[in-house]
Amino acid sequence: MATSIELAHASASATLAPKPSVTEVVARFVRTKPLGAAGGVIILGMLFLAVFAQMLAPYDPYVGDYGLQFSRPSAEHWFGTDEFGRDVMSRIMYGARIALFVGFTASLIGCTIGALLGVISAYWGGRVDLLLERLMDILLAFPQLILALAIASILGPAVQNVVIAISIPVIPRVARVVRSAALSVKENVYVEAVQALGATRRRVILQHIIPNVAAPYIIMLTAQLGAAILAEAALSYLGLGAAEPTPSWGLMLSGSAPSYAEKAPWIALFPGIAISLGVFGFNLFGDSLRDALDPKLKG
Amino acid sequence: MAAVTRRYHALFIVLALAVVAASVVTAVHAADTPRRGGILLAVIGADPPSLDPHQESTFATMQLVAPLYSTLIQIDPYSYPKIIGDVASEWKISPDALTYTFKIRPGIKFHDGSPLTAADVKATYDKLIFPPKETRSVRKGAYLAVASIDAPDASTVVFKLKHPSASLLENFASPWNVIYPKKYLDKDPNYFMKNVVGSGPFKFKSYTPGASFEGERNPDYFVKDRPYLNGYKFFISTETSVRAAAVRSGRAYIEFRDLPSAEVDAIKKQLGDKVVVQHTPMTGQFGIAINNTVKPFTDERVRKALTLGLDRYTGGRVLFGLTGLKDVGGLLRPGTEFAMPEADLQKLPGFGKDMEKNRAEAKKLLAEAGYPHGFKVVLKNRNVKLPYQDFAVFAIQEWRKIGIEAEHRPLETAAWFADGRDSGNFELIIAPTVEASDDPDVFLRRYTTGDTQNWGRFTDPVVDDLFSRQSRALDPAERRKVILQLQKTVLEHAYYMPGLWWSRNVVHWAKVKNYVAPPNHYANQKLQDVWLSED
Repeated sequence: MATSIELAHASASATLAPKPSVTEVVARFVRTKPLGAAGGVIILGMLFLAVFAQMLAPYDPYVGDYGLQFSRPSAEHWFGTDEFGRDVMSRIMYGARIALFVGFTASLIGCTIGALLGVISAYWGGRVDLLLERLMDILLAFPQLILALAIASILGPAVQNVVIAISIPVIPRVARVVRSAALSVKENVYVEAVQALGATRRRVILQHIIPNVAAPYIIMLTAQLGAAILAEAALSYLGLGAAEPTPSWGLMLSGSAPSYAEKAPWIALFPGIAISLGVFGFNLFGDSLRDALDPKLKG
Repeated sequence: MAAVTRRYHALFIVLALAVVAASVVTAVHAADTPRRGGILLAVIGADPPSLDPHQESTFATMQLVAPLYSTLIQIDPYSYPKIIGDVASEWKISPDALTYTFKIRPGIKFHDGSPLTAADVKATYDKLIFPPKETRSVRKGAYLAVASIDAPDASTVVFKLKHPSASLLENFASPWNVIYPKKYLDKDPNYFMKNVVGSGPFKFKSYTPGASFEGERNPDYFVKDRPYLNGYKFFISTETSVRAAAVRSGRAYIEFRDLPSAEVDAIKKQLGDKVVVQHTPMTGQFGIAINNTVKPFTDERVRKALTLGLDRYTGGRVLFGLTGLKDVGGLLRPGTEFAMPEADLQKLPGFGKDMEKNRAEAKKLLAEAGYPHGFKVVLKNRNVKLPYQDFAVFAIQEWRKIGIEAEHRPLETAAWFADGRDSGNFELIIAPTVEASDDPDVFLRRYTTGDTQNWGRFTDPVVDDLFSRQSRALDPAERRKVILQLQKTVLEHAYYMPGLWWSRNVVHWAKVKNYVAPPNHYANQKLQDVWLSED
């Protein structure tokens, strides 16, 4: 009898606090985290540019007008042209594709592998945990960009290699965070209960642990996005990322830009602004999302 | 009184003029008198794949090690292409042009203290002309006429020829043919890929890959009172802007290869008379090797389409300010004795000036070959920006106009050589033809079957025969006729795709004296006469 009363009480509570709609969640986020919302707008803008670059870009980013080498910003070429007469604005628009592709794929791959390893490490414990953690220690011993540089220089300059190079250093960082979250989840009574009821390890991990470590995973993912975009720019700047004539922001900033910095500063200026804005947007959004999702930071 | 004053005035003026004249003479004398000491600081754009010039063909090897070695004869540092002696004091060619006899200077010592004799010269040229299986000689094709080498005594070397060779003396003067001590070659013909034992004006001091290379004065150098410098040091950086900044800041006094005009102008603007710019033509062009053994490039129509799609004339205008790439030409430098006349050149695929017509023809050929919508291809390249990568960007832009989408893949110098020259692991690759002289033998041997520099791996018996005939032709008019036919054959079949002939800006601080930039970045790198007017 007591049990049925408790259940009825729980049901009543659920009716009293209905699940908020997506619009309500977004509105509350905008209201409470205006900076995060501004970051979100920048990200949406980048996404829009990346998806519709073909329609929005006024010129082919790969083919230049040889008669217009080093043209100043003008009504025809808002951001000017580069040493081959290519429209800088069109190249920045297409560059958003590379930045987002590398940012999203590298973060997603790195964070997902890291999260899986973290959960496995926490749940199995013992030798598996010891082995994985020492492996993570080795990877953590190298600064993130130095490790990415080493991997990129082994693999050679190409966009897909940049994704691999950036995602590997992400793995141990995410694995550590997710492991600690999974360790606390593992100790919960309901996990012990399902184990006692005979649930398989796979079931416990997939249905009970992973859903409960989703918050730190999402936070790490958004935090790594901005870092990945910056790392892509850095690798391309150092000649280990995308190769010319790919319209990559980092590559546009390196390549010929330093040689022509005095003659045509717009070649370096606008890609620089694009990188700063993109990274700034992801960092603002990531920070706000962490504040919103992390229960320790609430209230 | 006034007369006395006038006399004093006149005397004063005469004395003042005398003092000025004396100081000018002293200053000129001081400026012209070589100063001893100092370290020449230079900057270079690549790491060498190995230290053995016999096996390499990059400035990265040559500029670093040339000051450490001697050659048999050499191109005059002050008067290209005049030939003067180096370890050979004199030489004689027999009337039938089948025997070349060289006399070796006495008293020359290698850096390990052992004497340099005719036996070392013979061993060096045996390695170059008849290389053992385990080693590579990238220029052996220039010495096909040589039948045997003898060293009858310690100071005489005799080359016996199978047939006369029009270019042989020029090829003996190649800066790549450095003399090695026989005893090391006997132990390991690849010993000098990683070690240095020369007889040049400087001795090896240190090498840190990716960072620096140093040489120090050889006190036992066989040329009296040389070198003037205490040593030299190269800093290594593949970044053009870093090299330019090194010169600009005085961290390096010279960049021997090339800097883009924009950087040169900025350096000149900032440093004014403190720097000197030597602009020279180049005995070299940047083109593209097509792997003739892989599809779709086994099809001549596809190769022709590629060359038709390249607007060389516009390229010369666009790339000159960026890279120094300038002149449209065939397989030999425009304006030289054996170069193809412009009128003849324009009749060949890719050299006509009507680009609309060329592109239409290219698309038609691609459609006929089964690629009506073009195709995707990988263009490999060296990760050296100037002018490799700029030239590649231009070519990629041009090919997009005929539907060919090329993915650009820059590689480290060693990997670029390994894929291009050694293994043929490429479809298209940027492959310049830069040599130490305009000699037709060194330029054209790369189009013959099996030559180590034939990166495109094509075989045409007609080209082989024409090369052999031109090499033997001692009459320049007859030789020219055959050379023009050879160039026409290679370009008509589009076995290789020449791009543009190069020119270069050598920028150095004015305190670097006595360096005359030759028309390439291989010759005159021994630095024996170079001196610094101040540290």
